[in-house]
Amino acid sequence: MVVVYNKCKNKSIMKMTLSNLLLTVCTLMLFNKSIAQKEVLIEAERFIDKGGWVIDPQFVEQMGSPYLMAHGMGVPVANASTSIQFNEEGTYHVWARTKNWAPGNWDAPGQFKIIVNGKALKNTLGSTPGWSWEYAGKTRVTSTDVEIQLSDLTGFNGRCDAIYFSQSKKMPQDSDSKLDTWRKSLLSETSIPEKEQAYDLVVTGGGIAGCAAAIAAAEQGLRVALIHDRPVLGGNASEEIRVHTLGIYGKFERILKMIDTKHYPNGSFEAKYDQKKRDKNVKKFKNIDLFLNWRAYDATAKNNVITHVDAKHTASGERIRFTAPRFVDSTGDGWIGFWAGADFSYGRESATTYGEEWDEWGELWSPEEADNFVMGSSLIFQSTETNETQTFPHLLWAADIAEDHQSVNGEWYWEFSRNDLHQIHDAEEIRDHMLRAIYGSFSNAKKLDKNKNYKLEWVSYLVGKRESRRLIGDHIFTFNDVKNLTKFKDAVVEESREVDVHFQSNLKDSSVPDFLSTAIFYETEKYYIPYRSLYSKNIENLFMAGRNFSCSHIGLGGPRVMLTTGQMGAAVGIASAICKKYNVNPREVYTHHLQEYLDLIEKQR
Amino acid sequence: MLKFLTFISVILSIMELNGQMKSDYNPMFFSMNNEWKEITKDESIFEFTVKSLDTIYNTEIAHTVKLLSNNAGEPKLFFSDIETTVCADGECKIANIKVYWNLLGNYVGYGIYPEYPLTKFEHDEFEKEDYAKLHKLLSDDNSILKRRKMSDLIDKVPVAPSNTNLSKDMDGVSGATKREVKESVVKGGLYSCYTLWHIVHGPVKDKMKDYMLSLNTSELNRYFLYTPYKDYQLYALKQLDKTKFKTHSEQIIKIFKTTDALTKSYILKKIPSNVLSEEKITVEYYSTFPDIDINSRTLLLKKIKFANPISVNILSRYLDYLTKNQMELYLKYLESVPNHLYKKIKGELVKMSKNKNYPYSYLVIEFLKNRK
Repeated sequence: MVVVYNKCKNKSIMKMTLSNLLLTVCTLMLFNKSIAQKEVLIEAERFIDKGGWVIDPQFVEQMGSPYLMAHGMGVPVANASTSIQFNEEGTYHVWARTKNWAPGNWDAPGQFKIIVNGKALKNTLGSTPGWSWEYAGKTRVTSTDVEIQLSDLTGFNGRCDAIYFSQSKKMPQDSDSKLDTWRKSLLSETSIPEKEQAYDLVVTGGGIAGCAAAIAAAEQGLRVALIHDRPVLGGNASEEIRVHTLGIYGKFERILKMIDTKHYPNGSFEAKYDQKKRDKNVKKFKNIDLFLNWRAYDATAKNNVITHVDAKHTASGERIRFTAPRFVDSTGDGWIGFWAGADFSYGRESATTYGEEWDEWGELWSPEEADNFVMGSSLIFQSTETNETQTFPHLLWAADIAEDHQSVNGEWYWEFSRNDLHQIHDAEEIRDHMLRAIYGSFSNAKKLDKNKNYKLEWVSYLVGKRESRRLIGDHIFTFNDVKNLTKFKDAVVEESREVDVHFQSNLKDSSVPDFLSTAIFYETEKYYIPYRSLYSKNIENLFMAGRNFSCSHIGLGGPRVMLTTGQMGAAVGIASAICKKYNVNPREVYTHHLQEYLDLIEKQR
Repeated sequence: MLKFLTFISVILSIMELNGQMKSDYNPMFFSMNNEWKEITKDESIFEFTVKSLDTIYNTEIAHTVKLLSNNAGEPKLFFSDIETTVCADGECKIANIKVYWNLLGNYVGYGIYPEYPLTKFEHDEFEKEDYAKLHKLLSDDNSILKRRKMSDLIDKVPVAPSNTNLSKDMDGVSGATKREVKESVVKGGLYSCYTLWHIVHGPVKDKMKDYMLSLNTSELNRYFLYTPYKDYQLYALKQLDKTKFKTHSEQIIKIFKTTDALTKSYILKKIPSNVLSEEKITVEYYSTFPDIDINSRTLLLKKIKFANPISVNILSRYLDYLTKNQMELYLKYLESVPNHLYKKIKGELVKMSKNKNYPYSYLVIEFLKNRK
């Protein structure tokens, strides 16, 4: 059972469990010209009963917090509800921090209302572009026990970050730069966790790479923390995103078979079987402490050595500081490295930077001048044929993106990248663009008689990213390492699948909608990735595994598939054992203990 | 034994045909203008060989490539009169096709001998629409057939999982769809389509490109730049020295207005600052703003600091076209423009801040609040 710590101003620290009915919130007494004002801030993700709303923690770094989202695929979801205690009865003005996620000349898609003690507040919410406080209305609180509900009106991804009650009608803090401090002040929280836990290795990111790293290190006897911001493991391979694992096992078949997937079509419901296998296999390691639903928010380095990673529970807000002599960044976005000050790259390098040009594909492969046309992110979806007619509305806000495209299923090539969007900073906009594309295309398909019995079965709301930050190691893996089949003396990962780089199809053909991509394949024999691409060049105790390993844009094209990233994870897990044995940093494994390391890897088969 | 005799008879037929046929240049499908009509000269330039796909008789067939030129001796097209076997497991038949490539080795069309129509697997002749479909397939240089072995396409597509309703159109091999393969080839003509696609897009393309490079002259590059063909234009732009950008600026803006997003981006990245900063050029490019793709608009915004200041005014007329991040880029740039310029466009900003149909008007409101 997860233990939640929360603190109220002027009260002692309270310890409680999620099963408790009462949610702790802080009511602050603010004095202004002798008039007492009461205010209460409620983080939506801390609602006791989420109903049909889901916690979305993907964009915390951009908008400030996990939030609740009504992902009903067009069917309004069950109300989320919570009970809180007010210190004072009285009349309160109520705001919700929300956004209209598809603004335009149409009704907002994600509309919802707030219900207080059974009575809906006046205003419908979800109508303002950009995250901001929307006024919900006022309510009379006649008892200190207050029940609050979020009532979804559309089923189309309405979202609520927080709810604010105040006896003053003054708009709550809306400045991006001040919001975080204001929140913490109202919740009496600080950024510094009160709890600290020490490990031999802290792995952040529980995708295939992170899982493999944790298993490999645990098998060598290390005490490992595996921090992951979702309830299930696997990242892009999880049942929440449903991309099958591709590539070869290299020297780590035994480990990777504990966490891989079968070769079902992307999006298949079968992902849930591999999910069970993966979660069970990781959980069986007694020396892996698994922190599911925990999202790292900071990493601190002193003299280029990371001392700790701080993480926060995505629902309760509890914080823990993780200390260890060494860390693995398998976040995909390279967050640990980024926070710690690791060198990194983003975007497409110019063709001459590493000599990665390929005449046949020219600018689509590697541009003369560096740019931001990186590979995009995907949202996969599935529908199912039922025995009766199913309706689905025509949605202006979705038709605007989908235009006349029709589809009842979405595969890997449902992908979005644009040069004004950053795959990390603008990930919410990218996700929302894909949702509009999916709903619009499905709505178009439903107009055909042959699809009248189809119903949306599953739409991912998690961004399946291909490319983001790439942390720089002692070796930057490039296309040339593939072309030359370079036999590195520290080769620890091997792959024979094609280099597979995508571009947005509309770059060549304007008639194709902007959410579809085309793949370019470079056929290859087996190639190798050196260990030196798996630790940071300038942060001494940082490994990386997964798409944020040290590579160029084109270098990423091949190894980004998940058995290859899994090999990276296993390789750094094993390396961490050598580090522990000799109390050395990752680089010294290469410079002083390479043969022992390679021998240990050979034993993994 | 019967299969062997069939194979021998096919080879003999090819030899006979080689003796009898004389190619003409009259394509059935041709995606360029009328270059083929100008041809007065042909010259055999090299041969290329293609391995038979047949799993039993693994032979190689040689084909000759000709360079076709006009009256002035200017090269226009590559051509090959291809006779090939289309075989599967020892069953063979002949396919005759006259293929045209442009000077970059890109497929542009084909013709047939009326007396030797293309046939499907069961020897039915191609219908009219089948020929059109073949042209469409051959025009796709990244066809789904590219990475597939023939054996992947025949009865080897994995069976969908038991919950077939969820994934009945999926092909588990690579995530591509069975439907996509089916839709791209002529019905019943998979072997022919597969064989021909791999001949047309095989190593012969590189040979043609190499040959063209051996002819490479400034006249040829100029020809490429001034043709209406996108692949020629991009090739010529890539060859173009930046110092020559100004000389050809009229043609380049013409290309910019008509080409795809990829080439637009290339032009905007390459255009030298001293060319873009000319008022006339700035007006030409920035006035296209509402008509071009979002990626090109972003590049225009990023180039604004190198453009003539009039670009700021021009863009102020198109503020409602800006995405959120583009508006942020524009407003960021406005922070640095001198007051006299800012005053000229402030009215448009105020208008946009009140525009209820523009979703990012809140950014403009915020900006106006901070800049008086």
